[in-house]
Amino acid sequence: MALADQDITGPVSGRARLRYRLRLMLREPTTLIGILMAALFLYLIVVPILSILTDAASVQFGDERRTGAELGSFTLYYLRRAFTSPVAYGLFWLPLLNTLKVGFGAIAISVVVGGILAWLIARTDMFGRRWFATALIVPYMLPAWTFALAWTTLFKNRTIGGQPGWLESMGFSPPDWLAYGQFPITIILALHYTPFVILLFGSALRRFDSQLEDSARILGASSRTVAWQVILPLMRPALMSAVVLIFAKCLGEFGVPYVLGLPVKFDVLATSLYRSIGSRQTGVAGVLAGAIMLIGMIAILVDAYLAREARRFVTVGSKGSMNRASRLNRLRLPATGFASTIFVISVCLPILTLALSTVMRRPGSFALSNFTLDFWIGQDLPTVAMRTGILLSPDLWQAAWNTIWIVGIASVCSGVLGILTGYVVVRTSSRPLSVFMRQVTFMPYLVPGIAFAAAYLSLFAVARGPVPALYGTTMILILALMADQMPYASRAGISAMMQLGKDPEEAAQVVGAGWLRRMTSVVIPIQKGSLVTGVLLPFISGIKGLSLFVILAVPATDVLTTFSLRLVDYNYTQAANAVVLIIAGIAYGGTLLAQKLTRTNLAEGLGS
Amino acid sequence: MPDIILSNVQKSYGGSGPNAVSDLNLHIGNGEFMCLLGPSGCGKTTTLRMIAGLENLTDGEIRIGEQVIDSPAQGKFVGPEKRGMGLVFQSYALWPHLTIERNIDFGLRLRKLPKPEREARVAKVMAALGIEKYRGRYPSQLSGGQQQRVALARMLAVNPGVLLLDEPLSNLDARLRLEMRAELKRIHAEFHTTIIFVTHDQWEAMTLATSIAVMNEGTLQQIGSPNDIYERPANRFVAEFVGSPPINVIEMGKGHALDRAAQDWLRPRLGDAARVGSVGLRPEALQLASSEAGVPAGSFAHPATVTGILPTGGSWIIELNVEGRVIFLTTTSCPTLTGGEAVWLYARPTAIHAFDGDGQRLAGADEALARAEGGVQIVRKA
Repeated sequence: MALADQDITGPVSGRARLRYRLRLMLREPTTLIGILMAALFLYLIVVPILSILTDAASVQFGDERRTGAELGSFTLYYLRRAFTSPVAYGLFWLPLLNTLKVGFGAIAISVVVGGILAWLIARTDMFGRRWFATALIVPYMLPAWTFALAWTTLFKNRTIGGQPGWLESMGFSPPDWLAYGQFPITIILALHYTPFVILLFGSALRRFDSQLEDSARILGASSRTVAWQVILPLMRPALMSAVVLIFAKCLGEFGVPYVLGLPVKFDVLATSLYRSIGSRQTGVAGVLAGAIMLIGMIAILVDAYLAREARRFVTVGSKGSMNRASRLNRLRLPATGFASTIFVISVCLPILTLALSTVMRRPGSFALSNFTLDFWIGQDLPTVAMRTGILLSPDLWQAAWNTIWIVGIASVCSGVLGILTGYVVVRTSSRPLSVFMRQVTFMPYLVPGIAFAAAYLSLFAVARGPVPALYGTTMILILALMADQMPYASRAGISAMMQLGKDPEEAAQVVGAGWLRRMTSVVIPIQKGSLVTGVLLPFISGIKGLSLFVILAVPATDVLTTFSLRLVDYNYTQAANAVVLIIAGIAYGGTLLAQKLTRTNLAEGLGS
Repeated sequence: MPDIILSNVQKSYGGSGPNAVSDLNLHIGNGEFMCLLGPSGCGKTTTLRMIAGLENLTDGEIRIGEQVIDSPAQGKFVGPEKRGMGLVFQSYALWPHLTIERNIDFGLRLRKLPKPEREARVAKVMAALGIEKYRGRYPSQLSGGQQQRVALARMLAVNPGVLLLDEPLSNLDARLRLEMRAELKRIHAEFHTTIIFVTHDQWEAMTLATSIAVMNEGTLQQIGSPNDIYERPANRFVAEFVGSPPINVIEMGKGHALDRAAQDWLRPRLGDAARVGSVGLRPEALQLASSEAGVPAGSFAHPATVTGILPTGGSWIIELNVEGRVIFLTTTSCPTLTGGEAVWLYARPTAIHAFDGDGQRLAGADEALARAEGGVQIVRKA
């Protein structure tokens, strides 16, 4: 009897349960929106990466004879070519070695310099530490290759043509090692990423509880013992995290090695990849992009592991924590001098050099007659191209307009998608969907920009199914930028939605508000601020971004960054520098604006 | 509003973890002030959210009168926006971008009431809660207590059949909490609504509720009036959770002098068959005598040493040591004791709570102990 009962009610109640689940899911459009967005991200993020990885292992157009196989069939040819063939050394191993040399050199310098500065700012009575706290971050707001152009303006020698550097024209001939290659690239990357260490390490230092120090002191430890046995061990996770993030950034760095490495054939992975794409070696490009992604992923996973380890130090930032400044006494002036020197080297010198170079006819000559505003606003100049000053050149305005609307649309889209991602992640009743959204939007973070651009090229260069070939269109730039910015946008969105919590929306639900009403009357008005930031921050990073554009843009879709790079290639030094100054100005102003609007410090945005 | 009935309600969040709520049966009558009491993580807030419709069930059903509002087995679910309930959040969840007046008006606008009526109702609840003067301000400009009132007003404005309160007083300071408790009692009387209140604070529960449901680890431990819960705890969990300082528990069969004495005392009164697992003695039910002669006949008594006297202002907690075991006792008369003094502690038979080996209240023990109490009185008269 009981059995028979079950037989009858079992499936019926099973169907009812299914109906129940379905009803719950469809009651709110959250899950539906989530599924649509998940599909979009799958196409915009996962598929391009898969596409380029497939390229690496299948016969590309034009290589049928060399590989002895049909177009599109599986092959190890490209892997062998990149890793074991006679050309592998120049194609992959040397660039890898160079990348590691430059990366670790930059890390060593920036950790030492940044570590000291972070401590001076966070924990001492150095003069003007509040001012330095902002001033020393400025190099990070400027595009890294601003410094590269400043460097060439100063140190360029007769090894390559075009206008010589200031030193050369003043009669000193800088050696090649000083002018190009590993040394300047390392120094510039170190200067550019020092703010990273200052921010990450500094915020850890600020959270560090002085009572921990005091306890050691009371037990009789000298200040050296305290530093080595208490402070440094506790700071190690923050430091390691900065190291890994800098490494990941150096890996994808394109502009600096392009400007400074090319003259002496100093290749890093990013430039090698760029060259493979330029010479239409799609298969090898796939292998190189895959290798860059792999190294980047390993670095980020190491960082995640370290972050988990760091959680064991529960005492850091404990209740009743206090932070007291150490007295520098006699060292107060020298310390301030050190911070000022770094500021001068990493901000004043490059900016001033660039600025001066744009108003000087001949480099390195400081006679009054040599100064001119022709390069900015001149007309009918006696040159082959660029016959007007840069501000009067229609190319600049075209590039500026392109930049603003391409980056603008991408930023607005990624900002909105970021908030929506946050909403779905926090609010959907389906955990797998929430986890997937969180992870898929984070993926581009693991992939350095240049590899991501290569992936886009691989997927969208030809028509696939209903999607036409997008190469050469602005669409591909917008899509790639959008996808590339999703990690930041989604993180901002998720944290904003987390901070908001469910309560305000549920309160509206309880008094009878449906989904649409809750979105328009509660969620969006409250999140207005984070939406603005979510658009503005990607906009700034998009404006100074180079590695995506350099691969995906064509002359018709020139943006400011590629425009200035083209000017560099044509040796229009003054014009190139002027464009870079404009970009730096926009990036700096935008960052300040974003900070003002959100009343936050950049430190928080960078930590992510 | 008709009664709210929860039958065999289950809630699990998936995975292998234990159920957040298992097999919960509750009947909340119209006009009741029901308090869900338990330690954090006991499932009380989940229960409240299931009633509101913000969480769905894994199994079982919830009805309002005859109408099923949530039942996986029948595939029925009525959304929170259609249940006509009010919920005050622990965080208050006021909308930061709206003024106080607009916060309160929000639900009324949704109901598309004519403007004069909306204004009248907003004015009425604002007056009832004394927040008229803040009407133009934003939530961030109000103190915690004021925000609390706005959160209440916002829900009362839509005239909910049931008012659900999720630890609404836990973010207030002691004085405000006292005020709000009185306020809640007044609102309950004035608006005639059913109130379901979640708290981990036993005093809140005792002072406010008409009935208390004590929960632990997702299951209902006991449901009854505040007095029932305190005087006749259904099991050791309820006995130990309610009361401060906590009840003194003597585990049987541990070979300690106190539990041997308790066993010897209980056996003739409960009979040899009674399987007593433990005995509970509330601190305020314990009394002290300076010598064995001072102990009233028929009491459970044992010698002890005073180890500490802790004044709490108006009453005292006395810490006693019985051969290595610490026993707490409270008294409202100023003790004339000194540390290290030898005393006798004793308890009347009806002050003793006997539990079986599983921690459940021992069946029949209360009657037997009441008889013992009665017996003593007869002896006294004689």
